[in-house]
Formats: sequence, structure tokens, C-alpha cells
Amino acid sequence: MKHLIRTISVLTALLFAFSAFMTACAEEPQAVAIDKEAFDALIASGPVAGDDVIAASAWAAKVKEAGVLRVGGTRTSFLFSQLDETDNGLRGFDAGLYQLLAKYILGDQSKFELTQVTSSTRESVLTEDQVDAVFATYSITPSRQEVISFAGPYYTSRQAILIKAGNSEITGLESLAGKVVATQAGSTGPAILAEYAPEADVQEFEDDIQARTAVEQGRADAYVTDYTLILNSLVKNPGVYAIAGDVFGPEDNYGIGLPKDSDGVAFVNEFLKTIEADGTWAKLWQISLGDRTGLDTAPEAPAIAD
Amino acid sequence: MKTGNIRDYLYESPGPRTRKRIRIITGIALLGLLVLLGLIVLQFSVTGQFDAKYWSFFTKWTTWRFLGQGLLTTLEAALTGSAISFTLGFLLMRGKFQGKLIRGISTFLIEFTRGVPTLLFIYFFFLVVPKTGWKPSAFWKITLPCAISACGVVAEALRSGVNAVPGGQREAALSLGLSERRTFYRIVFPQAFRFVIPSLIAELVIVLKDTTFAYVVSCADLMQNAKVLISNYDAMLSIYLVVAVIYILINYLLNTLSERIAGSQRRGIQTIPGTNKGVAAHG
Amino acid sequence: MGFTDLLSKYGEQYFQALLTTWRLTAISFAGAFIIGILITVARVSPIRPLRIFGDIYVQIFRNIPGAALLILLVYALPYLQIVFSYDLCVTAATILIPSAFCSEHLMSGMNTISPGQIEAARSLGLTFLQMIRRIIIPQALRSSVLPLTNLLVATMLTTSLASQVPMRPRDLTGIVSYINTHDTGGVMAFVISAILYCLTAFVIGKAGSLVDRKVRILR
Repeated sequence: MKHLIRTISVLTALLFAFSAFMTACAEEPQAVAIDKEAFDALIASGPVAGDDVIAASAWAAKVKEAGVLRVGGTRTSFLFSQLDETDNGLRGFDAGLYQLLAKYILGDQSKFELTQVTSSTRESVLTEDQVDAVFATYSITPSRQEVISFAGPYYTSRQAILIKAGNSEITGLESLAGKVVATQAGSTGPAILAEYAPEADVQEFEDDIQARTAVEQGRADAYVTDYTLILNSLVKNPGVYAIAGDVFGPEDNYGIGLPKDSDGVAFVNEFLKTIEADGTWAKLWQISLGDRTGLDTAPEAPAIAD
Repeated sequence: MKTGNIRDYLYESPGPRTRKRIRIITGIALLGLLVLLGLIVLQFSVTGQFDAKYWSFFTKWTTWRFLGQGLLTTLEAALTGSAISFTLGFLLMRGKFQGKLIRGISTFLIEFTRGVPTLLFIYFFFLVVPKTGWKPSAFWKITLPCAISACGVVAEALRSGVNAVPGGQREAALSLGLSERRTFYRIVFPQAFRFVIPSLIAELVIVLKDTTFAYVVSCADLMQNAKVLISNYDAMLSIYLVVAVIYILINYLLNTLSERIAGSQRRGIQTIPGTNKGVAAHG
Repeated sequence: MGFTDLLSKYGEQYFQALLTTWRLTAISFAGAFIIGILITVARVSPIRPLRIFGDIYVQIFRNIPGAALLILLVYALPYLQIVFSYDLCVTAATILIPSAFCSEHLMSGMNTISPGQIEAARSLGLTFLQMIRRIIIPQALRSSVLPLTNLLVATMLTTSLASQVPMRPRDLTGIVSYINTHDTGGVMAFVISAILYCLTAFVIGKAGSLVDRKVRILR
């Protein structure tokens, strides 16, 4: 027992020393981390809905009565909703939106409960009334609209091809034929690839970092995903990756998942229009996406479908 | 009567020539291992795995606190799962001592849970159960399948323990007028349980390893928290290595505990059932 | 989805999955068995570094969770310039973990051999390797048939790890996940896989008992 405790202490001490040594030796890498103060300040200054607006919507009234906004989302999406374990804060584009929504309905941006969802459970958590809304880079598709309803869109993007820097074989969609192409399971990636590069050998991965590592290590030749995610990868790891060809594919609209035919759709759409009008949306975009992908001008907020 | 490890008997104290030979081979073997380690370290540094960005966050105590929270959930799930599997296993074991029908059902359930991989049970709870209307939380979606998967093995371990209790004990108890029930619960089972504690701890280790699949059901255990860190710091290898070491250490601790207990039993400390007195067995 | 619907739509894939699981189990068990014997020999050899290496090997691979090992094989090895295919990674994981348990079973089997035999062998002048080959391993194996049968079943259960990487063709667990996420498989999809696993385990168990009865050493 003593022997074991000694071994553990030695190991931990070594790890600490090693990390400290490494940190001291090298420079702290360029922070591509989110500007926490700016983010928190922006959310804190978000709009609050009037009582009459809330009362007019059964969905919002239910949330107000429960005192908490139950959100289906993720903690591991670096750009859109990432848990920072140092202060338990959730930050990102999606995270900013649902916290702003919490403030909008309940007056306090911290009154939300996050349930982790995956692409397999995004619909069922809504149909089973486990959450009030789903913010999870959730693409609006007709098949999903048969089961749930979407508010928004609040963001659009298209797909792009990520390759290892120096890979001259892949120059665009056509050259994907016969190559191993990584994509994220449960995203619109597989369907888009089936349409735009049917000859490609598609491999589905659980998350972004596994797919990227597969490309880096040569297990996959290319990674097709959201253009924004690819830009972020390029910024975080300069010189490792490159983009092949142009953005392609249909406009991928991200929406907010809500229970089917709920009047929350109209309510949330009002919320989106409000934050788009007063510039909050653009500021949020800049802090969570623009600064981390090397872009300066916020795009036009997508027209809300209603 | 000589006991113990066969290792002690395979060779006597080596003579001078053998000692020399052993020293040479030992030297070569050590050199070989060191070279191998050196190559691994070299390769890792060449591919940049020793860069500060992959390790510097380990100096932050918040990283460890976060991992610790995940570890707590893992332990919670493992202990709860084990407790449930013990209960279910006990019921199944009792079932095997009953009439034909119940025995048949118990045997079937035991074979079923032993023959199906835990991952399949996990997918069942993850993908199929929610559609039936029962919505367990993520914690239960990992704990229950692990418990179900283990209960068959537990049942068999308990059964072998019960069979290992000398038949004379049961006969003596019955002849003293105790009912079957009391015989089992006051005399037979306490002794049986003592026999099987080591295998039960081994089963706890297995349940703990199974809980690593909690990421499938999005439960915030150690592996899942590791993924948050990986996403936050973009450092996959270093984090998985540290997490693997943590798991290995914990399981190693549990296994050592199990062996200690088994060892103390082999040395023959037996308790008079019903009391706390210990009686050392004869030599 | 009903039984017949599932079979007509996915019957072919289920069959492939069954074969994949069997193939993985057989290859992994063979590999685990061989490595298990080698590690056991290392653990009893007179060369201390080898003994320590063997012990550490067993402690690492019996205590590491399968998921963690698989991820390290898939994502860590390439940093050592070794890139295995997914199939090979899963096979490696399903060989390494059972090999540690195999060694443990063999060590227990070895302890059933009475030391008197070893002393007799030594006094007859057998070398270490001769003792291993002619006396220890054969008896250890014959005493370990039942635990090794359980190990074969455990290896089969470990092959379900294949569902965690994009390996083709899928195994019996991977196919249930696939059917349920791309279609409405429901309970039936799960039941079919479960039954196939159980039947395999049952056959293995029966075969193991038969072999044990034949080669068991009565003492």
C-alpha cells in the first residue's frame, strides 16, 4: 500500500514537473480561446422580454413558471458550446444564444440546465419533453421537421473539404472519388457527401477532433464538414491543414429545435429578430466565431423563416 | 506441506556460471527495454507530442478538479452498478435452488447476461429504451446495463460460494431444528459470501471498466470529462494517456485489495457464524 | 420493426456481422493464448527484468478499460509512425487484454502442479525450458480448460469494441447501433444480435465442458 502511494505520488509529481518544464520552455501558444470577459459581458447585457410577451406564449410561460430553461446541447463543441472546466462556464455561439434566451425569458442568463445530446437523441429529448429547446448546430431538414419544429435559422454555413497541408492529390469535390473521406456521424455530412461525392468512401466519426486526427494521421484523405469548423481548425493548428477547393453544398441552416408545432417557434423567432436588430447577434458572432476563425466582418443574419 | 508459488521451486540458487549467464541476459534485456523506451520517447517528441500546449494545462488545478469530478461519477456508477448486480445476482442464484420452472428461468437469464456484451446492453438502453416511454437519466443509462451485464457472473460466483460451504454445516443446522430459510441466511450464506468476496471485487473492477462506455450515453464520467478537456485544449493523446493511467491505477488498487482478502482467507481465518469472534485455523 | 422485416432487409448484414465477430474472436483468442503463454514463461523465468516486464504487462492490460486501449491504439500509435487499420487496432486490443487474463489463468493452473514434480524434474537434470515444455505447460493447460473457456467467451464479448471505430464489415454490436440510428430497429434488432451472441457463448461453453472432462487431471 505504502509502495503504491509512493508510486502514485512520484508519478503525479513527475507529471506536474514535466508540464511546468514544458510550459516554461516554450511560449504559451497564441490564444485562440474565446474572450471570456467580452462574452460574459455581452450575455449579461442581453434583452429581457416583457411579461406580456411571455404570457402570450404557452411555451415561454411554461419555462418561466419552471424557473429554468432546459436546453439540449453539448459541452464539447469548441466554437459553438464548450465547457470551460476552470470556471464551469459554457461559451460559444450556440451557448451564447441559449444563455441570451434564458435571460430573455427569465431575466437571468445562468438559469438554464444543459442536457448533453448527441445526433441520435436530439429529436427524442424534444418529443419526450426532456428539454425545452435544442441548440446543437442543428441543421434544418424536412425529415426532422416531421418530428419537431425549428425556430430560426440563426446561422447558415456551407461545407468545405479539409485536407492535410501539402496534399496535392485532392483539389476539390471531383478528386474525392475513391478517396477515404471522414465526416461526423449524425451530421448532414453523410447525406451531402452522398449527393456531391457519391464515389467517395465515407467514414463516420464520433466527433470533430477524431475526424481531424484521422486526416492528420493519414487514415482519411479528407474531412468534409462545416466551413466554419474547418476555418477554426486552420487557425488553431497553423500549417497542419489546408482547404481543398471552394465551399460547396447547399446552404446549411442551423435552427433551434422545439417541440412540434409549439408556439415557442414564434416566440424564439421574435427573440432572434430582437438580438439581430440590436447588434447582439453580430457581436456574439464576432466573439465566438469571427475572432477564432480569422474573419472580421459578420455575415448577414439569415432571414428567419416564418 | 509446502505451499505457495511454483516460481519458488523452478530453480535453485544459481551457481556462478549460471549467475554470470543470467547477469549477461539481464543486461541485454534491460538494454533492449531502455532502447525501446528511448525510441518511443524520440518518436513522440519528433511528432511534437511533447509540445507545451499538449501538457501545460495539467499544471492547472482546475484540470485535476474537473477530472476528479468525472472520476467521482465513474466510481458512483461503478459502485451503484455493482450493488444492483449483487442484488440481481443474489436473486438469480436463489432461483437456481428452487423448483424446475424458476430454475430454468434463472439459468436462462444467467446465460443471457453472461453471453451478451455490455456494449450491446448499453446501446439497448441508449437507443431502444427511450422509445418505449421510460426515460432514465444518463447516469442510469450507463449504470443499469453494466449492472445487468454483471449480474449473471455474480450469480454464478455466489452459487459456487454456496456450494463450497461444507454440506455438513447445512445438515447440522437442519438437525438442530432451524428451518431451510434460517439455515441459508444465518449459516450457509455468510460463509459463502466470505469465500466469494475476492471474485466480487474482481467483478467491481469489470463494472468499472464497463462504465468507460458512459460517453456513448453522454453521462459525465471521467471519459466524458476527458473529452471536454480534449475539445478545449485540442490535446487528444496526452489526456487519454493520463486518463488510462488513472483507470489502471484504480483497478490495480481494487485488484490488490481483492488479493489481500483472498490471501487472508487462505491463511484460514474463519469466523464462527453469528459472532464476530475469529478463530485461527490449524497450521 | 418486425422480425421478418429486419431479416429481409438486414439479414445479409447480420450474417456478415456474425462472421466478423467469430473471426475476431477466433483470431484474438489464438493470439491472446500464444502471448499469454509467452508472458507466463517470462513471469517465471530467472531473468528479473523479464519477470518484472511480464508482471507489469499483466497489470496494465487486465486493468485498462477496453475503450481507452482502443483509442490509444487508434490515435496514439500514429504518432509513433505506426498506423494500423481499424480492423488491426480492434484485433490488437482484443488480443492484448485477454492475453493478460490468460496469463493469470495459466499461473493459477501452474499452482495446481505439486512442487514435488518440479523437484523430481530438477533432480533428473531437466533444464528450465525442458521443464516448462514437458511438465508445466501441459499440466497448467489441462487444469485451466474451464477458465480458458470462460476467457474465450470473454474475448467474444470484448470484440464488441469493434462498434466504436468505423470498421467494415460491422460486428454484431455495431450493426445494432447502425440499424437503430439509420432506421427504426427497435427491440428486435437488439434481440437478434443478443441471441446470436448467446448461442455462440452456449456452444463454446458446452464444447469447453466436453474438453475439460476429457483432459481434466484427477488428483
